[in-house]
Amino acid sequence: MTSREGGPAISDADSAVASHDPAGLPAPSRAPRMRTVLALAKVEASFLVRSLLVVAGLLAGGAVVWVTIGSKEPLWWNVGWRIGAGQLVIGMAVLAAAQLAVGRARRNGMTDLYASFPATAGTRTLAHLVGLAGAAPASLLLIAAADAVVQLRGAIGAPSIAVLVGGLLLVIAAGAAGTAIGTRFPHPMAGVLGALVLFLSSGQSHLPGAAELWLYPWESFSDQLGGLPGPLAGYPPAAPHAVELAGLAALAGVVALAVTVTSTRARGGLAAAGIVAIAVICLAGAVQVRPIPTGDLNQLVNEVADPGSAQRCTTASQVRYCLYPRFGSLLPSLEAPVSEVLALLPARPAQPLTVRQVVYLSLPDSTLTHGHLNRDVSRWTARVQQAPGNATVTPATAIYLPVGNWPAAGGQLADAHFDLALATAEWAVRLPGPSGSLSGGGGMPCVPLNQAREPVAIWLAILATHPPAGELQDGLGVGTTIPAAVVRNTAIRGWDYPGVGGGYVTPPGGGPQTTAAGYLLASAMTRLPQQKVSHILADDWGKWLNWHTTDAQLAAALGIPMPSVSTLPAPANGPEAALCTT
Amino acid sequence: MASQPPNILNAAEDAPSAPEQPVRPTPRSRLSWLRALPRLARPITQTMPWATLLAGCLAGTIILAVMAHFAGASQPPGPGTIRLAFLPAVAALAFAPRAPFRPLTQATPVPAWVAPVGHILLAAAMLTVTCWAQLRIVAHTIPPGAIVHMPAIYPLIAQLAGWCAVTVAAAACVDRSRYADLGGAIAAPVSFAGTAIVWYLPITSRFLAEPAATAHSVTITWYAIAAGALALTCVAMRDQWHRYARNLGRRGSAPTALRA
Repeated sequence: MTSREGGPAISDADSAVASHDPAGLPAPSRAPRMRTVLALAKVEASFLVRSLLVVAGLLAGGAVVWVTIGSKEPLWWNVGWRIGAGQLVIGMAVLAAAQLAVGRARRNGMTDLYASFPATAGTRTLAHLVGLAGAAPASLLLIAAADAVVQLRGAIGAPSIAVLVGGLLLVIAAGAAGTAIGTRFPHPMAGVLGALVLFLSSGQSHLPGAAELWLYPWESFSDQLGGLPGPLAGYPPAAPHAVELAGLAALAGVVALAVTVTSTRARGGLAAAGIVAIAVICLAGAVQVRPIPTGDLNQLVNEVADPGSAQRCTTASQVRYCLYPRFGSLLPSLEAPVSEVLALLPARPAQPLTVRQVVYLSLPDSTLTHGHLNRDVSRWTARVQQAPGNATVTPATAIYLPVGNWPAAGGQLADAHFDLALATAEWAVRLPGPSGSLSGGGGMPCVPLNQAREPVAIWLAILATHPPAGELQDGLGVGTTIPAAVVRNTAIRGWDYPGVGGGYVTPPGGGPQTTAAGYLLASAMTRLPQQKVSHILADDWGKWLNWHTTDAQLAAALGIPMPSVSTLPAPANGPEAALCTT
Repeated sequence: MASQPPNILNAAEDAPSAPEQPVRPTPRSRLSWLRALPRLARPITQTMPWATLLAGCLAGTIILAVMAHFAGASQPPGPGTIRLAFLPAVAALAFAPRAPFRPLTQATPVPAWVAPVGHILLAAAMLTVTCWAQLRIVAHTIPPGAIVHMPAIYPLIAQLAGWCAVTVAAAACVDRSRYADLGGAIAAPVSFAGTAIVWYLPITSRFLAEPAATAHSVTITWYAIAAGALALTCVAMRDQWHRYARNLGRRGSAPTALRA
């Protein structure tokens, strides 16, 4: 520390050292040396706490956590690792800050001056390593803030201490790596490069070893944690990974000290410590690459392929809600829009509705199945491909909710409620998806062109959830964003309902393509007294459900003019969608 | 360009012997310093941070080569991978505009911005070679005869040029601040954060990233950003004073020492 760096002078420690020697020369002693280390570490830690880089890293890390968690229901077995992605960003900043701090003397050309101090280079390096404790507040603050936000948003499951501690250890290990780099390379570019290498190691899609994914400092985006119905032991192996990070931090510290320490005895001790650190890293790595137990994978595949075997079903208003055990708290959020639609119906279909959670699991995935026999992997893959979550066609009496996609709050939750209400209404008016009209559509959503049941379904959904009119109107699009479908070589102007593409809900049969004409007529219906519309619909409910009944007939019955929809030029080679005819 | 500060040495040599006569510098063309450019080539080349630039360019290229080597045929590296691999080179560029003896060079007839501009031009040539090499590496990952839809390269080049220009502008601005000693170390993360924010913010990403924006509009937008950043660079380089913003409220106190 020098006055040039603005830090307080370490007068106590150094005077303590000098006082032992009558000639004023430093006399090395263990206790004063430790006091020197602690005093220096205190100053370095305070620099690190106030470092602009670390503060910026904290803000950026918070932004990363916010973006990666998104607005979806927070699942603790996924959120813990996303918080770690934010810790990776803090780690990058701490790495650069630590490298700058350690390289300060050489960068300023003050090596000779520092060499004249009683504190040796090794002492200063040790102080820098201890001073990495100054990075802990930023890391802990991120953990605390993220935990608070996640809990407030109704987290599902429980946090894993090992994962959260692993994030903290990642920051410390990155700082130790920065210290090691700074002892040899004082140029700031070395720290920037180190931080970039740490960043690039988090995008593992192009790095070797999918099965060894967990060996990288932090796995960020290559897992399927967000869609699992519960935590899976060993996926990822959190505790061994935390041990690996601790070993890496220790190894980096040993390397940093080895560069600066000159004593043979100390180097011997460092060599021994380095060997221990490497052994710990190797051991932790070996534990991490162990295959996930076959029993656990069998159970996961069973839960995915046959959700009924693992879910708990509740019946309310003659609708079955089947959710995985940890997701019971979602039930009120699901019941509300469905019940609202059911309350508006003059009559229900004979077959009851089931609202069921499903899992989109992608197999083969070597991070999940590495180390298992090909025969077992093929069996699991075949079962999962037949699972409800991966099926392209859904039953006409079921609404599927992909696990991990249901929003926690805000505008997206309102969109999800509308989607669920619309799916319920489409079931009620028997609007089919591709399963009912595969003859011409080839799996594409069918189009209820000029069918009265479509505006009826949209009207039911709007009344059940009351979405903002502006958001509904935005679904019509403008310019190049106008949704369209081609039916019988004619371009039909479509309508993107709120939350379309969000993947919150898979409607019965996969859901039809909603049209602009259907929406505009439904919008006109909402401006009429609800009792009047309900009465007209209830009088001849069967007629309005018939796919031959047109929008114009419905408008005439309601006494309103048919809204005009601008036509679109047909695309030359656009895919042809089928008409909904069941 | 900027008006030159009085050349003390020349003025002393040209001063009349009689002390009562006013000082009259020899009339000299404003662009006479251009004649010194050939002589400046050597010191500019020697003071260029070659090691830093080489480290940045090679690090990114090696990382890309490793990624290309291990990437499967079904998942060859694309423009996104090139963007990531180009980051170290952009970070290295942040160290190019540094003028360590600016107070001294400002007292010479040659404008003080000549050396940093020379460094930037040399660095630009090096980054061009790096970009070409990285594109070649990615091209080699495509199996011969394979029919793949490759995205247009010109938006990518425009984007990389925009990143470079923003980084140079940030470095030039930091060089005029109290953090001048840390120029690149501050400018690199600042420019990365800035580009990441505009890249991911829904409002700006509509103009800066495909597929929300067309390739042409992406190209035009990034070149416009590059032009703006270069204009800012010019302004910062012509500025002759360090801006000690923290001392504005402490009149009379000495500038705070830099913490490096």
